[in-house]
Amino acid sequence: MRDVVAEPDRVDRSGSAARPQRRRLDVLPYVLVAPVAIFIIGLAIVPALFTIIESFFTVNELDPPTRFSGLSNFVELFHNHAVTNSAANTAFYVVVGVALSTVLGIAMAVLLQRPFRGRGLVIAILILPWALPGVVEGILWSGIFDPNAGLINNLIATLHFGAGNGVLLGQNRLLTVGLIELVQVWQMTPLSTLLIFAALQLIPEELYEAATVDGANGWRRFLSITLPLARPGIAVAMVQALIATLNIFDQPYVLNGAASTGSSVTMETYFVSFQNLNFGQGYALSLVVALVTVALSLLVVRFIYRRVEL
Amino acid sequence: MATRRSRATWLGAAGLAAVTLLAAGCSGGSGKAAATGASTQTSGVTITVALPTDPPPQAALDAFKAATGITVNWSSSDWDSLQTKISAAATANTYFADVTNVDWSRVGQLGKLGWFLPLETYLDGNGLKADMPQLASFTLDGHIVGVPYDASYMVTTVNTDLFAKAGISTMPTTIDEYTNDLKTIKAKGVVANPLNIPFAAAEGLSTYWYETTQAFGGTVLDAKGKPQFTDPSSAGYKAAEWMVNAVKDGLVPPGNINVNDSQGEQTLMAQGQAASTFSDYSGLINSLYNVTDSSTVAGKVQYLETPGVSGTALNLSNPDGMGIPKQAKYPAAAAKFIDWFVSAQTQADFSGLNGQDKVWGSSFIPSRLSVVQQLSQADKLADGERLAKMLKTASPVFPDGAPTWYPTFSNAVYTNLHAAATGSMSVADAIKAIADVANQQSSNS
Repeated sequence: MRDVVAEPDRVDRSGSAARPQRRRLDVLPYVLVAPVAIFIIGLAIVPALFTIIESFFTVNELDPPTRFSGLSNFVELFHNHAVTNSAANTAFYVVVGVALSTVLGIAMAVLLQRPFRGRGLVIAILILPWALPGVVEGILWSGIFDPNAGLINNLIATLHFGAGNGVLLGQNRLLTVGLIELVQVWQMTPLSTLLIFAALQLIPEELYEAATVDGANGWRRFLSITLPLARPGIAVAMVQALIATLNIFDQPYVLNGAASTGSSVTMETYFVSFQNLNFGQGYALSLVVALVTVALSLLVVRFIYRRVEL
Repeated sequence: MATRRSRATWLGAAGLAAVTLLAAGCSGGSGKAAATGASTQTSGVTITVALPTDPPPQAALDAFKAATGITVNWSSSDWDSLQTKISAAATANTYFADVTNVDWSRVGQLGKLGWFLPLETYLDGNGLKADMPQLASFTLDGHIVGVPYDASYMVTTVNTDLFAKAGISTMPTTIDEYTNDLKTIKAKGVVANPLNIPFAAAEGLSTYWYETTQAFGGTVLDAKGKPQFTDPSSAGYKAAEWMVNAVKDGLVPPGNINVNDSQGEQTLMAQGQAASTFSDYSGLINSLYNVTDSSTVAGKVQYLETPGVSGTALNLSNPDGMGIPKQAKYPAAAAKFIDWFVSAQTQADFSGLNGQDKVWGSSFIPSRLSVVQQLSQADKLADGERLAKMLKTASPVFPDGAPTWYPTFSNAVYTNLHAAATGSMSVADAIKAIADVANQQSSNS
């Protein structure tokens, strides 16, 4: 691509009309952008292309050589019970995680919308769960869920609600997936809150004042002003929650091991790739996850995002 | 302001950098060639040692440097992450470390893949074999893939205090006696759930089943990788049944379905909530149960020779080893390090025979039999005489080497046994699912 800059015809000192010069290529912008572009190409585009191509090949360290195998990686994955089971778990993680973190994010952002004493401190504390690595959170919550010495069972026993030896994780699939997702929601909600909170800060106070004058109550103001104008922030929050839940790994792995009651698609990708050394299938599974992520993100943007001009 | 010429130079440099980066990104995927340019230098070099354990005392590494001129850069990492790094580096044909972990369970896989250098070309294999019973677990087709540095093996531990409270003074020697004793402890209310089995879907559960299968007098797979546990009268089937029944009968705490091996040791055995762990780790009395900071049962736990069908059974070896990845920069220096690390002198130092300042906290049991015997004679190893005796007969899960598809098999073992323990599938179905994986994988290979 050539960037051309129009220049006026020049007149030389002798007064005769000069021959029009070729428009000059200004390389400086390209040079400045090059480092970032190189990183994006080298660390995102190339691996992505590599993944797409190799997903159609048998790339198995224990079954060399690498050879074209068409769609067989994808077909085998869909016939793999562990993968389909983890896909069902992941679907649950996505639905519950995105819905819950968005609703809680909106609620907390609205609570923080009006300035109050100590709001900065509250926001700082709010960020903490988001700042913690998933593995650390998993370990922390495993202490809470532990059936032998966990906080929840201790509370149940102390308050005489039961014997306090209930098994929370691993036995009932729905309960297991729900509790694991609760831990992830605990981690994701602060970011959702901040994203929505940032959108709320852009809403002019005059709109609320005018609505109040028109007799709108708090709920009406929320539905007619806050929610519509926060949609850009809500959409971004939902997309980040979507990406996080589709790629959930740390929490189920730490809290529930490799058990089928909580395993996620990303965990299966890890097992297929690094335990079984079947990288072809690992690429295929990664590609499927990436495509689902893009498709669902587009849906969120299509139905939730609205351009807001204030 | 830059001239056109200098701009062109910049552009060229940027383009070159982009091409270089792209080439680097593309080159890692399928390269299988051995590392080129590995140095035979053994002095004045720095080697990276990546193991799932804390480093030994700095003084020991300094002494090694003074003697050899080799500086050691120690990189600690958890076991699972390390296995991923090993696979990723080997697949991408890139340097990662000069010395790293070789787990017995991956010897078959690593041996076939050729990711590690054969150590018999660097070390005296016969000399090591004479003093390291567990070296067999690291040998494949005559090639030594790794050398054990810690002679971990599975043992039964019992809290003699809890047994005594139930009126049991003679320790069991068979699995039936053992089971009855546990039932007695439960029936007398000494502890609610006397047996610790870590039923979390993790490697520790597979290991527990292997040890129990061995106690029932059988093996898991034959030399061709075919399952030996499908018949209800087989040792593996009985072992699975015994383990799952222990949950159903209330011998195992219900919460143990999500407890891994180390959690079970720390929260149950070390706190006196369980009376026994059938498949425990050798050396834990020294490193955990007798440590009063983290245990309430100091002096109360002892090792028990594994109760078998009609008498004591063999113990399962579960050692940690180290080897040299093919992409090592300094393989000769790495070999010198391994030779030093597993030498009788160093093992004696690390185990506390030559003073507390030389003790390596992570060294539970030395891999050299001679050093274990010295420790036992010097009375520096809790229950050392019994440990030394059991080490002599510790045998690998797979006498012919772990199959290349072991990780897939183990995953099937622990996920299905876990599911059986939760009640979501029967023992028969779990065994069938595990056997299907073994049959499929062994046929494919």
